[in-house]
Parts: sequence; C-alpha cells; structure tokens
Amino acid sequence: VERKRSDEDLSGFSRICSPQRGKLDKTAGTSSDIRNTVGNIPMEWYKDYPHIGYDLDGKKIFKPIRTKDELDEFLDKMENPDYWRTVHNKMTGTDLRLSDEQVDLVHRLQQGKFGDVNFNEYEPAIDFFSSEVMIHPVTNRPEDKRSFIPSLIEKEKVGKLVHAIKMGWIKPRRPKETAPKYYDLWAQEDLNTVLGRHKMHIPAPKMRLPGHEESYNPPPEYLLTEEEKLAWEQQDPEDRRVSFLPQKYSCLRAVPAFSRFIHERFERCLDLYLCPRQRKMRVNVNPEDLIPKLPKPKDLQPFPTTQSLVYRGHTSLVRSISVSPSGQWLVSGSDDCTVRFWEVSTARCLKTVEVSGAVKSVAWSPNPAVCLVAISYGETIVLLNPGLGDKFICSATDQLISSYEEPEESKEQSVQWTIAEGSDHEHGQRLILKHPKAVRQVTWHGKGDYLACVMPDDNSSLQVVIHQVSKRRTQNPFRKSKGMVQCVSFHPIRPYFFVATQRYVRVYNLIKQELTKKLMANCKWISSMAVHPGGDNVICGSYDCRLAWFDLDLSTKPYKMLRHHKKALRGVAYHKHYPLFASGSDDGSVIVCHGMVYNDLLQNPLIVPVKVLKGHTITHDLGVLDVAFHPSQPWVFSSGADGTVRLFT
Amino acid sequence: MSQLQARFFTENKKYAIDDVPFSIPAASEVADLSNVINKLLEARIADHKHVEFDFLVRGQFLRSSLASHMDTENISTEEVVEIEYVQKFTAPQPEECIMHDDWISSVEADSEWILTGSYDKTARIWSLEGKAVMTMAGHTDVVKDVAWVKRDGLSSLLLTASLDQTVLLWEWNSEQNKVKARHCCRGHAGSVDTIVVDPSRTKLCFISLAELKCLKTVFSLSVPTEEEDEVEEPNRPRKKQKTEQLGLTRTPLMTLSGHNEAVSAVLWTDAEELCSASWDHTIRLWDVETGEQKSMLTGSKVFNCISYSPLCRRLASGSTDRHVRLWDPRSKDGSLVLLSLTSHTGWVTAVRWSPSNQHQLVSGSFDNIVKLWDIRSCKAPLYDLAAHEDRVLCADWTDSGLILSGGADNKLYTYRYSAYVSDAGA
Repeated sequence: VERKRSDEDLSGFSRICSPQRGKLDKTAGTSSDIRNTVGNIPMEWYKDYPHIGYDLDGKKIFKPIRTKDELDEFLDKMENPDYWRTVHNKMTGTDLRLSDEQVDLVHRLQQGKFGDVNFNEYEPAIDFFSSEVMIHPVTNRPEDKRSFIPSLIEKEKVGKLVHAIKMGWIKPRRPKETAPKYYDLWAQEDLNTVLGRHKMHIPAPKMRLPGHEESYNPPPEYLLTEEEKLAWEQQDPEDRRVSFLPQKYSCLRAVPAFSRFIHERFERCLDLYLCPRQRKMRVNVNPEDLIPKLPKPKDLQPFPTTQSLVYRGHTSLVRSISVSPSGQWLVSGSDDCTVRFWEVSTARCLKTVEVSGAVKSVAWSPNPAVCLVAISYGETIVLLNPGLGDKFICSATDQLISSYEEPEESKEQSVQWTIAEGSDHEHGQRLILKHPKAVRQVTWHGKGDYLACVMPDDNSSLQVVIHQVSKRRTQNPFRKSKGMVQCVSFHPIRPYFFVATQRYVRVYNLIKQELTKKLMANCKWISSMAVHPGGDNVICGSYDCRLAWFDLDLSTKPYKMLRHHKKALRGVAYHKHYPLFASGSDDGSVIVCHGMVYNDLLQNPLIVPVKVLKGHTITHDLGVLDVAFHPSQPWVFSSGADGTVRLFT
Repeated sequence: MSQLQARFFTENKKYAIDDVPFSIPAASEVADLSNVINKLLEARIADHKHVEFDFLVRGQFLRSSLASHMDTENISTEEVVEIEYVQKFTAPQPEECIMHDDWISSVEADSEWILTGSYDKTARIWSLEGKAVMTMAGHTDVVKDVAWVKRDGLSSLLLTASLDQTVLLWEWNSEQNKVKARHCCRGHAGSVDTIVVDPSRTKLCFISLAELKCLKTVFSLSVPTEEEDEVEEPNRPRKKQKTEQLGLTRTPLMTLSGHNEAVSAVLWTDAEELCSASWDHTIRLWDVETGEQKSMLTGSKVFNCISYSPLCRRLASGSTDRHVRLWDPRSKDGSLVLLSLTSHTGWVTAVRWSPSNQHQLVSGSFDNIVKLWDIRSCKAPLYDLAAHEDRVLCADWTDSGLILSGGADNKLYTYRYSAYVSDAGA
C-alpha cells in the first residue's frame, strides 16, 4: 500500500512539472493508475459533462462530486492547515496535498535554482586550454590526414596569382618615395654657420610708435599753423621733423587712405637694408691670464733668506744704519745718543761714539779713499773719522780735513763750520756743522764731496742744504718751499737731485738749475726714497703702506705700486750690484724684492717679491726703521725699534 | 728577508774575528751587532772586556737598522754584506773652561801650550790645565789670529795678527817666562784676519778681510834668526813706519792678487802651494814659487773658513749657508763638492780636520754649537758640543787629541778626545 501511494505521488508531481513525460509514467503505472487521455486541451470543454475524460481503457473518468462552494472553500482555507500545500488537479478533478519534498522543490524552482539538490552548479572549472603546454594532449584524437596533404584549393589560388604575376597582370608594390619633393635651399649649409648666424642675429630696430601727431584727431597744439605748413613744405624732405602733416578729421570714418603708404614701407625696407648693423666683439678673458707670469723666487737667487747675525748694544731705537764702501764695517745711529761701529762679519761693536742728542741719520762716505761718516743729531751734523780700515786712508782723511785753508773772502753762511777739538776730536769727530734747524737726514753724493741734508719745515725755503766738504761751503739750492721735504738723494751718475716732499718727488738738474721731472707718488705721505744705482729708477716708501717704483723713462706715475707691508714703510734700499731692493716697515718685517732693470729700454723692470724677513720685535708700535744692503754680498741689514741691527743672508 | 748574510772585518788586529759569513737578522741595529761581535770575541779571547762598536757598510756608518740602511743605500741584500766594525768613538770629554776678558778670536794649541787671541787686544798663552802663563799686549787693536811658529827647547816663536794691520812676531822663553816682540810685519791696508805658517816654518802668509780688490795675500819671510836677508819690497813701496819697541819692520815678499772680494781664510796645502777662500765664492790655489793661480773651486756662497787634511787630501770649507762642504783641491777648475755636511743653523765660522784621523773634522758655527763629524756619516754629526752660550769664533784640534773652541761668550772650552783614534786612524 505504501508503494502505491508513493508512486501516485510521484506520478502526480511529474504531471505537474512535465506533462510530456506521460509515456514514461505509463511504464511505471499500475492498474490503479488513473490517467486522463484527453491530451492537452482546454478542460472547459468538459465543463458541462459529468466526466472529464477517458482513461487508458477508454472508460469515462467521472468528475468527483464537487460539493464545495465558495463558503466551503473559505472554511477550508481557514480551517485546513494544509490548505496552502493543496493543489487542484484539473485533469482528474482531485485535490492533491504536496509533500515536504515537493514543496521544497517548488521553492527551489521559484528561486531559480536547479531542482536537483545534489547538483552543484559552481563546480570548479577545469581549464583545458591554457597557455601551459602539457605533455599529454587534451584529446587523444590522431591528426587528420588532410593536415598532411597540400590543399588543392590553395594550390589553385597560388597558381592563379603566379600566372597573373608572370603575365604582368599584377605588379609588385612600388617602394615609397622617401626623397622630399621640395628644394632645400640650405641643404649645403654648414651647421656651425647656422648656429653662428643665430648667435649673431641682431633684431631690426623697432619703429617708433605713433604718437598724438599721427592721431586722426590730434590735439590742436599738434596741428600746424599756416606758416608752419608753408615752412614744412619748403623744407627738404630729409630735413623735416615729421614726414607728414598732422590733420584733423571729425571721425575715423572720414580718414582717407594714406597716400604715402607705399613710400613709407619702401623707406622702412631701405632703412633695414642699409642700416649698418654689426656686433661689438667682446672677448672673455680671465683677467689673471693677462698678468705676465712671474719667475719663481727660487730661480732668482741669490737673495737674503735667513737671519744670520744680530748686532746688540743699542739701548733705544736705531734710527739709521750705513755700511762702509768696503762692506767690512757698519755704522748705526740710535736714539740713545750713541753711534756704534760694528764689524760686519762678527757683530763686534768696535767703537761707540757718544753725541749730545738722538742720532737721526748716519751716512758713510761712498768715497773709498776717505774714511768719513756723517752723523746728524739735533741741529748738528758731525763728520766723523772712525779710524777703521786702512790706517793710511784714515790719516789721509785727517790730513785732507786739516789741510783746508780759509779763503780770503768768507761769505756769510747759514751753517756754521767748526773743527772739533778736545775730547770730541779724540773720539774721531772732525767737523761740526751747526744748522739753524733740526736735521733729519744726511746723504752723500756718490763722489763723497757733497753732502745734502734735510731740515723739514713746512713753510721755510731753507729745508735742503748742500755742503761741499772740501771747500766747507754750504748752499741752499731752493728759493721757494714746495712743501715739507721728507728726504733727498743724489743721482748716482748724473747731476740730478731728488727731493721727496709729502706727495711728490721732484727731480732737479743741478747744473741747469731747473726742475726736470715731478713724480706723483699717489700716496699720502712719502717716508723714504732710494735711487737705483743705474739712476733711472726710484722707489719710494710711504706711511700708507705702499712702495712705489718709478721708471723715470716711462712716466711720472708709479710703474708699480707694491702693497705688501701691513704698516707704514720706514726705509727702502737698493742693492748696488744685485737686482734686489728691500723695504722695512712698522710691522717688523723686511720684504726683499727682486727688481731687475734691463738695459733694453723697451723692457720694463721685472719686480718679484722674493722674501719676507722677520726678526725684529715691535716696540712702541715701531718695527724696522732702516734697511741697508751690503755693498758686495746679497745681504741686507735692518735696524729696528728694539735696539738691534740684524743681518740677513 | 729577515736574515742577511754578513761578513765582519776590522783593521784593528786586537778585535779581529774569523772571516766567516754570519746570518744575522735584517732588523738588527748597531747595539745588536755590537753584541754579536762581543760574543764572538768572548769566545775567542778569554779576558775580553765589553767594547762598543760602530759599523760601516760600504764606507757609511750604520745609523738605523741594517735593512733600512741597505735600502737607502741601494745595496743588494742577496749577497754577503761586508761590514767593517770599529771601536765606537767615545764622546769628547770636556776638560777645561778658560775664561777670557773678551771674545776669543782665535786659538792654536800644541802639545804643551794653548795660544789664544782675544778681542781685548792681547794674546795669551795658557797651559793645558787652563793656567794663564803669559799675556802679550802690544797690538793697538783687536787680535784676530795667532800662530805658533817654532819651538826650540825653551824658547818659542809665535805670531799674532791684529786689526791694527800688523803682524807681530814674538819670542817667548818659557823658562824665564819672558816675551819679546821681534818683528812687526806690515803690508796690509786693513786688518789682518788670518795668519798661517808654512810647513817648513820659514814662511808665513797673512791675509786681510778688508783688502778688496787684490786679493792679497802677502806673505812674508819670517826667519827665526837675527840676521835676516834684507827683504826687498816687491810690489808696493810702503812708507816704513818705525815702531821701535816692537822690533824690526818686515815687508811682504809677494802679493797674490786675484780674488774679487775679501779673503776670509788661507792655508798651506804643502810647502809650495797656498789655498785661499774668499767672499767672492771661490777657493783658489796658488803656486807660491811663481805667485800664480793654479786652480779655482767655485762655490755658491761666501766662504768663512777652510781646512785641509793631508791625510785624506780634502778641503773642508765652512760658509754662510750653514753647510760644511768637502772639496777635492786637485780637481781642475771645477766646483766639485764631494760632500755636504748639513746640521748647523748658522754661519759656519771654523772647521778643522783631525790631525790624526782622515775621517773626522770639527766645525764651529754662529749657532753656538761645535760639531764633531765623521765624513762616513754625513747625515748627522757624531757629537754636538753645545757648551758655548754665544757664537763660536774659532776651533782647533791638536795632535794630542785635544779639541778647543772659543767664542763670543769669552770662554775657551777644551775637550779630550779619545786617544784610541791612533789605531783606527789608518
């Protein structure tokens, strides 16, 4: 009984879902199977009949007795808990109650799912045709035979094309033309010239912008009056200030075409064509490359390099030093009122002469045949015979001085010459010259007879006097004061005389008695001066730390300014034979420079700083006060405020 | 390369060892090698006492490790190295310090007496113990140089040169301790700075720094006997000035002219040859017979002093550029410096060869130091004698091994230098 029921259930269901499966149901059907054979017809056709079709045996299937009306239906709906799962089978006219599986199946179908619960629609896909080449083919099917046999159809097609090409019916494709079709005017031009032209491009000058005069309605002041118009017309077209007549129109519409338009464009083109345009050539040069290469100091030997000897003995600043012409002795004058004579090679003080004032200047007579030293202190100059060197020369010097005879007519002189006597004479003093003013510097002429001395005074004409020792005569070469004289020097060869004032160095010709040159030192205050043994070059040291080298043949301005010192220069000196000069300064250093003067007038002197010599200690803000060269060796002496004289070799 | 093959030898028979090559560590220094030699000697001689040695590799003193020395000298380390060893020179022993009144300008000593010239215008004779024996005051100016001429028993002849342009010949009787000025030699127009007596003790030469043009070497015959052949005046007739109490006046036999500047030093290289050094950067050799210049050596700086060693026939010169240079005077007209000894920092004012050792010399400088050199070790001096407090002006080395130096600190120092030099001298 149970099996029957289940079959019936199934068959009923299958009829709902797929009526065409009826044949299959028949096989599974039983004798109790009620099956309507009317087919797929509208069931209303059997509405008025008591049956609703026929079964397999051709017997009428009668309608169940329908007693249910609307009310029964409603009550059933309300009371039957299975009402929602009860369906009416129109073919049999019976009600079917759906089982749980069937309800579940209906729900699944409603949701669009597969009816079979066990069917997984999302099984993982197996990608047979991937990029990976597998060792086993996906299919094991052998290759077709046709894949080994040439295709007849293709052979036919190819044969046709070959025939057509042979017959000339088909032409191979022509290569594309790459050559440009235009003519390249600049094809042959060098790239550099193009770049050059671009670089050298000069834009055309801009035209003047139109002003009020060009306006169609210019302000009345721009309009020309009748006379002006006449004058304009009579002017040459080239002389006219404006090339047109300003005119006034009531509105822009009334302005006629410009009659001179073609002319004006033509003139503009003419301007551009004729305008001389050129670029100023400017060369970019590193300024340092223009400086001539100086030789290395090493190649300019010999020059003093190290401090060798210190001459100690003075107790105050040593103002001035001088070396004897033989180079064996050195004289130094100091503020401690002594003059000391030294042996150069051993730094031995051989003699000390005391005077009655701070010694300002000492100078050894350059004449090797006499043995005289000029010493200035206070208002006095003393000529002193140190008694060093050859005894014969010393005694000859004494004789020379004592053999002087007073001339008959003695002129009044501004300077008193007296002969030293007593203890002064024993100390070597021979002649004493009393000056009216304090003497600052003495210097000898190269022959050793004339002696110039400086008495600085701003507004007196008696600043420089020249003494002649052999005649005991004094002359004042200058009538007028040209400023405070700082120092003087004789020309080593010619009769010239150098006078340095604060800013200028004047060169006088002593024979013609005229001013030959005036050198402008370009510095604030000259302190010292030295003349090159050749006579054509002068160096000046100044208190504003500069050293000026003048080439007298070249210019009255300094040939070179050297600013190597940090403080005021106090002394400068040239070497007699070697191309050397030295400067001493308040910064305590002596700077030795190579200063080569060439005989060739076209070649400028070569100046190379070669050595800074330090040794003096700075005392009372003063360093080196005087420098002097050895007459024959490349050695330099310096005297300092620390009371020492030092020899650098 | 830690081991070297070396063969040691010496000229001193006393310390001779077997002539066998040894393998020694390359890094060994002088002390190590010295120990090796001492060990060998102890094995040989029973009563050997420890002796310090110095070592010479190819004539150069070993001053660093053997390997570095051979590296700098470019000596192959593959072969057997010949190493000479000599007994280490002991440092000079300071003996006396003799005080003077003023700077000491010159010193000359012999085996008994020391003669010094001083800036206080006198020359003095001292015993070796530092006792003042005699003072010779006759010059009117600074005494610049002194020289012994001759000693006959108790009486000696000596010379002093001075800034007053004269040279005085003194006779000194050491027994009676009396001194007498015998002659006054004139001829210079400047101070006489150097005076030398020729090896035969019959001629002397003196020069002056002051004389510029003609270099001037005058030399005057100094015959130690009373009767002298009248010296004819050669070049320049000079007014004879009588200095009665100073004895007879002598005048030059010959003047050698040639130097352009002051002549700073002169010496006799042998009986007929004179050598002079000058501020004009040259050393000239003169033939005394003819009075002509034989050859010239040109330097680059002013020469202050020269010394000649008859043992090694080399000239040593001291100049203003701090170097002591060795010259070969026989080279013709070249400026061939054999060696430069550089260690001083000031002018070199005195050089003196050892009278007994051909390798050693002493130099004094304005840097206050006297240095003892061995020319086989030219990089550094053997010893620095830094006793002076001021510039060294003169130095001397006697046959008896006494080193003397005088300077501007008024002190004369004497040093005894090891007498062993006599056996190493060869």
